[in-house]
Order: sequence, then C-alpha cells, then structure tokens
Amino acid sequence: MTQTQTEPKVWDVAVVGAGMAGMATALFAAEQGLSVLQIGNGGGLLFASGLLDLLAVHPIASRRLWGSPFDALAAIRRDQPDHPLARVDDATMRAAYESFTSALGAAGLAYAPLDDRNHLVLTSLGTAKPTYGVPRTMAAGVAAMAERVPCLLLDFRGLREFSARQIVATVGDTWPGLRSARIEFPGAEASSELYAAHLARALESHETRDKTIALVKPLLGDARAVGFPAVLGLGCSGVVHAAFQAALGVPVFEIPTMPTSVPGLRLMDALEHAVVARGVHRLLRGNVTSAAFDDTAVLSLGGVPGGETVSARAVVLATGRFTGRGLVAGQQRITEPVLGLPVQQPASRETWHSRDFLDPAGHEVNRAGLRTDSVFRPFDATGRPAWPGLFAVGSILAGQDWMREKCGAGIALGTARVAVDQIVRQLGAR
Amino acid sequence: MSATFLRMALLVSLGLCALGILWRVSTWFRVRIGPDARTIPLHRRLSAAVGGAFAALFSRRTPGILKAFVLDVLLQRRLFADSKVRWLGHLFILAGFLLLLVMHGLAKLVTLKVFPAYQATLDPFLFLRNLFGAVTVLGVMMVMGARRHRPASSPIVRRPGDRIFTALLALVLVSGFLLEAQKVASPRAFYRMTKEYLDTTDPEETLPLRTVWAAEYGVAFPDLQGTPDPDKLAEGRELHNDACASCHTRPTSAFVSYPISRAMAPVVETLDEADAERWLNYLHVFACFLGLILLPFTRFFHALADPVSLLANGAASTGPLSPAARATRRALATDACVGCSLCDDRCSVAPIARHLGNPALLPSHKLLATRDLALHPHSLDRVDAHARRVAEGAWLCTTCGRCTERCPVGLDLADMWDAGKGDLAHAGHPAPAQWVQERTALEWADSLGASPGALDVLRDAASPLSAHRETYSACVQCQTCTNVCPVVAHGGEEPGAIDLTPQKVMNLLRLGMVDLALGSRMVWNCATCYQCQEHCPEGIRVTDVMLELRGMAYRSLGQSRERRQPE
Repeated sequence: MTQTQTEPKVWDVAVVGAGMAGMATALFAAEQGLSVLQIGNGGGLLFASGLLDLLAVHPIASRRLWGSPFDALAAIRRDQPDHPLARVDDATMRAAYESFTSALGAAGLAYAPLDDRNHLVLTSLGTAKPTYGVPRTMAAGVAAMAERVPCLLLDFRGLREFSARQIVATVGDTWPGLRSARIEFPGAEASSELYAAHLARALESHETRDKTIALVKPLLGDARAVGFPAVLGLGCSGVVHAAFQAALGVPVFEIPTMPTSVPGLRLMDALEHAVVARGVHRLLRGNVTSAAFDDTAVLSLGGVPGGETVSARAVVLATGRFTGRGLVAGQQRITEPVLGLPVQQPASRETWHSRDFLDPAGHEVNRAGLRTDSVFRPFDATGRPAWPGLFAVGSILAGQDWMREKCGAGIALGTARVAVDQIVRQLGAR
Repeated sequence: MSATFLRMALLVSLGLCALGILWRVSTWFRVRIGPDARTIPLHRRLSAAVGGAFAALFSRRTPGILKAFVLDVLLQRRLFADSKVRWLGHLFILAGFLLLLVMHGLAKLVTLKVFPAYQATLDPFLFLRNLFGAVTVLGVMMVMGARRHRPASSPIVRRPGDRIFTALLALVLVSGFLLEAQKVASPRAFYRMTKEYLDTTDPEETLPLRTVWAAEYGVAFPDLQGTPDPDKLAEGRELHNDACASCHTRPTSAFVSYPISRAMAPVVETLDEADAERWLNYLHVFACFLGLILLPFTRFFHALADPVSLLANGAASTGPLSPAARATRRALATDACVGCSLCDDRCSVAPIARHLGNPALLPSHKLLATRDLALHPHSLDRVDAHARRVAEGAWLCTTCGRCTERCPVGLDLADMWDAGKGDLAHAGHPAPAQWVQERTALEWADSLGASPGALDVLRDAASPLSAHRETYSACVQCQTCTNVCPVVAHGGEEPGAIDLTPQKVMNLLRLGMVDLALGSRMVWNCATCYQCQEHCPEGIRVTDVMLELRGMAYRSLGQSRERRQPE
C-alpha cells in the first residue's frame, strides 16, 4: 500500500529507486535505525536472476575469471581506482552480503552459506555462469555440475522459455551422465502455453506437487541429482524444494530461467517484505520531478494524487541505468533526468559503441554514469559533491561494466553499504 | 342531484374500483419477473400465497405480523429512519385523509353510529373537518417540498395516471373547502334552511334572524352590511336559539373555510345565481368517484399494496422464500413501490447515472423497466439505443444492496435486480462481457473495420491512456504481466477463455491495432486485480489500459452490434 504523508516530516533518508541498489540502501538504512522513505516500485527487480554476483570477471578484455571475488576486488582496486568497487573494502562488502542475505532468508528466500568463492551455476542456455550468492534451491546444481554426477534435467511441455534437451545438447559433451526428460504439468494438460509463475504457484499445493513427483520418480534411473526449471514455489520455495528433495531421495536443484523469471519475482517479493518489515515507508507510484537542496532536501513528487513534496536529510539516487531510466540516452548526450547531474560519458556519440558488437572490451557507453567522491556523493558540474547529503549508488555509477564484469549485485550492495555508513556518520555528527 | 343518481354513481365507482383492484391484485400472481418465475404456474403461486398467509396467521409469527402492522404500516418506521420531514408529511396525509374519509365521507355509516348527535356544522366536527383537510394539505406540501429539489439527472418516476390522480386529490380538497365557504356565506342556503325549519323565505320576516347570521355566522346579506341593530339582534338570538343553535356552531371554527367565505362574500350573490353550491358539490363528489376509479392504476395504489407487502415481510419466516412466493413478491413489489425515489438518492451508481445522463440506472426507474419487460417480453427485441439504456441500467448496478436497505416499504430490490438481469439476458441483452463473446476478437475487428466511423470513439478524449503511445512504448514484452496474471493462470482450464495474454494486448496497442484488442477475451475476462500493473518493471498501467479498453469496446462494439440488427 502506498500511503501519503499527512504531517510534514523530515526523513533521515529518501531513497529514489527500488531496484537492487535502492532496496539494499533502504534495507541497510532501516537496519541502522534511520527513518527511510523509498520512492518507486520494485518492478526492475524482476529482471534479476536471483543470483547475487559480486565480481567474477576482470579485466573484461581478457575475460579473466576469478575463483575468489575478493581476489578480484583487490585486482580492481589496483587496476581501476575509479571503479566503484575499488572504493568498497572487503569488510564492508562482506557485511553488506551478510545482512542482505540474512534479511532475504528471514523473508523466506534462503541463500546457501557464503564463502569467499565464486560458483559456477548451470543456466537455461546450458552455459555456466560464475556468481557469488546462490539461492539454496539452486545450490545442489553447483555441486552436481562441478562433479559431473549423473543427473536428470526435466522440463514441462508448454513452458517455452526452458528446454532441458537444449541444455543437454549444449553441455552434454563434457557431462556424460546428463539426461533430459519432458513431462506434462499436472492440471495443465490442455494448455498449449505455460507461464513459469503460474507453475510456481501451482506447485505450492500438495496435490500438484505429489502428481509432479509421481511423474518424475519413474524417470529417475541412475540420476544422483535432478534439475528443474526455476518454478519450485514462489513465496515458499524453500518448502517446495525440500518436499521435492525428500520425495525424490536425491539432491534437487533449480536452473535459473530467462528474465523475467520466478527467482526475480521471489527476490522482489522478499525484498519488499524485508524493507516493509523494517519500517521503510514506500511510495510505489511516486516519481521525483524536481528537487531543491538546502538544509534538507525537498523532493517534489509526480504520480502521487494531489502532488506533494517530501523532505529528507539525505537522498540516495538509485535509479539504475537506461532500462531503469536513471540515465537517458538522447541523440547526442546521455543525461541524468531526475536531478540533472552531469554524466561522465564518451566525447561523442560515435564512440559510444565499438564497431564490433561482441568486442571483448565492451562498449564505452556501458561505462558512462555519475562520477562521485569516495563515499559515492555525485559531483556537480564543478567536480565537487553536489550536496553533502546526496548519494548515488548502484549501476548508475560511472566506470564499471557490471554485466561483463559479473558484479551487478556487488556494486548495488557494496555502494549502498558505503553510502549508508557515511549517512549514519553524517547524521550522527549533526 | 338526486340521491338515487348519487348512489348509483357511487356504486358504479366502487364497482369499477373493486374491478381495478382485482385486476391489479391478479397481476401479483400473473406477472412473471425473473427466469425462475417463468416455469411456475399460476395455481402454484396462488396456493403458495394463500397457504403462506394461513400458515403465518396460525403460527407463532402472529406477533411479528402485528408488530409489522403497527410499526411498519401505521407508524412507517422505515420512512422515519430515513427522512423525518417525509415521514411527518406522509403521516399527515395518511391520517388527515383517512380521518376525513371516515368522519366526513362515511359520516352516515360511521360517525352517526358512534356519535348520534353528529352534525357537520357543529363543533367539534366542524373544526375537525377543517383540521383534517388542512393537515392533508400540509402533508402534501411537506412531501412535495422534500422532493422538490431533485437534479434533472434523477427525475421522479411516474405512471400515466399519477398526475391526474394528484390533480383529482387537489380538486377534492379545494372544492370541499370552497363548498363549505360558499355554504357559510350564501343567503340562498340560509333561506333554504328557514324554509325547511321556519317555513318562510321572506326577508322582512326573517330580518332578526338574518341580523344574527349576518353578524355572527358570516352570511353575506347585501342589505345587512355594517353595524347590526341591537334590538333586532336580541330578537333574532331568541329565534336562533330555538331553531338553529342545536345544529350550528359559529363557523369561525372552520378555520380554513371561514376566511375563504370572507373573501367570497362580495361575489356570493353572483355565485348563488350561478348555482355555485350545486356545481361545487358535483365537483367534490365526482372528483372523489373518479379518484376512486383511477386509484388502482396510479402509484397511489401503494396505499393497498404496501400494507400487504409489509405484512408479508412481517409474516415471512426466517428461511429463504420458495420460488413461487418469491415470484409473487416481485410482482407485488412493482405495485408496492411508492416512487418516493429515496432509493435513487442512495444509489451507489447515481453518479454514473448522472455522468451518462441515463436515469435507467436508478432503482425506481429500473423497477418499472423490469416490470415493463415482464409484461411485454418482446419490447426489447431490437438492439437499439432504448434497449441499450435499459440494459446499461441493469448491468451497471453493483448490487451493493443500499436500495434494499433503504426502501421505506421494505422491498427486496436486490432480488428484483437479479431477476431483471435474468430477463434481460433472456431478451438478448446479456452483460457486455457476455455479448462480446458473440464474436471473436478478429470478427469484432472486422465488423469495426466494415463500419466507417466506428473507430472514432477510440480517438476521443475519453481514452487518454490508449490514445498515447507513451503509455506502452516502454513495454519490453518481458511477459511479467502474463506471468502474474491469475486469469491467464486459470484460463488453461477452459479452452478459449484466453485468446491474448496481457503482454500481447500491450503489443497490439504498440502496433496501433486497438480494434483487435477490443473484443479480446483477455480484456473482458480481466479481473482487474492490478497484479500486472504493480509488477510491471516498466511501470506501464496495464490494468488501467485494460479497463479503458473495456469502456471503449462497450461503446464501439455496442454500436456495431446495434447496427447489425435487422430493421
């Protein structure tokens, strides 16, 4: 529910944006006892895979894969001091992941225990994706793939975004014990097209679950692990996953599907649950139309019936990149539409993209973004922090290529943590 | 006017009135409202009513019936709860009219039996008749005043006879007062009495008595204006006490008629010459007779139907009514409706009625439309603007039940609307979500394309979302809306329940193919749960667009449907 402010109140923190970075900021700030107002809906999280990358590839030109994300962090601090991750120390990063995953666990989305390693997760394309935080429902797949145990991959007729046969065709050469099978989803025999979220919800009922298990059991054979598309439950995936594992008698794992996916829905629901439980006040439909900074920041909101303004001692901009409309690409220039902050970017449109689409070095446009000081306060045109209480976190920051570096959640969580720590210091000092 | 003629006229009017009432009462058992009423034969309904009445009378429910009679019928407690002014006004009309009828209209039958000394010209009867008449007039004014400031969008329902009956009622009251005033002031009436009781009509001989009646009883003798002669007055008083006083009180207690008689005094001779008393008498009596004949065919028939309905409510057992009883109660309800329009004032969709300019949405109008369709099942065979307005009235009802809750005569209107919807669907006017399924989305699009101008409604200002590409240009076809849609999730169980998924509808809009989206099952089966809109990562107002499409489809496809009808 959105609620409108009736009494004039000055929030400790106003978070603009509700993607991974916005949610992490709201969560961390609320955990520090700050009053938090969050503006924007969490729909962007639906594009998340549920995997929490930290940092796996550096440098991208040579596509070097790192076994330990913290080794990679050390390397990036050395090689690219302007990279946002270079400003997050190991302890801060660990603390960010610990509190983020434990909050998710408390909201019903458990993660496998964090160690200092990157793990390879089998994807629906048959590729192996390196990542750091793995949902518990996917953890058994990491071990199964690492050890190449005999394994059965299942899919459902009608679920177009996931083909077990295609995965086997892709990785079967190096994984001899890998088999695939296709089953009917119980109760959807008449449907020609299935949607993952519907299956996930249906599997939360005993009846559908038991029928599915009955269909899988005869196919088990010598399999010592079973992989499903990520549809094992929505709100209570832990329960559904455990039930499958107990009934089948072998480790069961989910394979992340293409976005927007069920794990993305789970992440969105769990994060919304977590921030609201910690007292974060959310304005789902609002968007910031203008801002004035003085002793406090005053944000004018659009999309709120009647229109209104909110005041905050600190503002965290977590509006994302182009799909989140945190950055807007015009004919010639990239702009930041909410506050009009200067965007660090290539000199001209010609250099936004490399001539080669698959250029291993990536494209210049992907490293565009906001320049900040060491605690992520964005610069104004003069190269100084625009306002002492204004921060920018997450993918909007310049100097990173999170998709190629496999560090999306790492930037979101790490920069959010640094910013919140700084806000706590600043507000404490007042 | 001969007594025989009057009696004949009275008997004829009474007979016609009884026939009218019989006919109206017979409709309670003949009129079939609602699909469930169609299969129940007349005798089952009759036996259910008679059986029910007997069962109620000889059961423990008798106190309930008694309570209903006192509280609901006599004291009108439901109306009291709603509007004190109307309640008081209605009570004034009811009490004033009934007491006039009993004391004055039925004087020979009732009043004389109870008070052998009754004389219309003696107090307290003289005063009371004026009082009852005045109370009735005051009640009418209060009720009319309470209904006066109605918005044009919410007119009062009327049956054809209503205005005539109201006029007749006014005529009875006015002519009654005028007649009494004329009798007070009229010298001719005076001489008629002296002829009867003193056997003289000589002005000189009756001068002393005339002096008294001119001075104290308001008779307007042209020769006795001004200060009366004291000697003549004393002499006349003696005669008056002997001959007149036992039957006449001073007319000043006729506090309405007496002032009128003063106003009439200057012209009373002219009126006498024109035989005004006789004509006023005719007017008064025949207005009463005509009113009697008309009564069963106006909404004032509620005076009979309401008590029956209220007593039936009081007598009803706690369980649900039998289908036969329900059918009868619906037909009875159409007669029991007073047309007071209190339901209209509280109707949840009244603002929509105002917006659409369609009073057919309002309960009191809907009640008559429901009855009309039951009486004339083929009256809505053509799909035209009239039928659309009636159907709109039925299907836009949210069944919130406020009308039932508020009806001062306790009608089960919610049941009536259910029945009416069934009849409408049967007559070829089902809910829009139903008739839209008469064709596929593709067929609808074809029919729109074939009729020039049909798509104009899609471009007007009332479709602010669909008309702007910014609304859905951000759509990346990520399927989230489809993924979270409960209608799609359950649509698999029924073939054809879903033709397009939400993201496909958005895609059609992106491609400018609104016409294809309008008749789609998705648009019409949307549960408007807003899951899609709340989940959309691009913030597209998917549900709002669906709702808007439905509104557009209702108009454009509805027009196309009307055009298809054979002339």
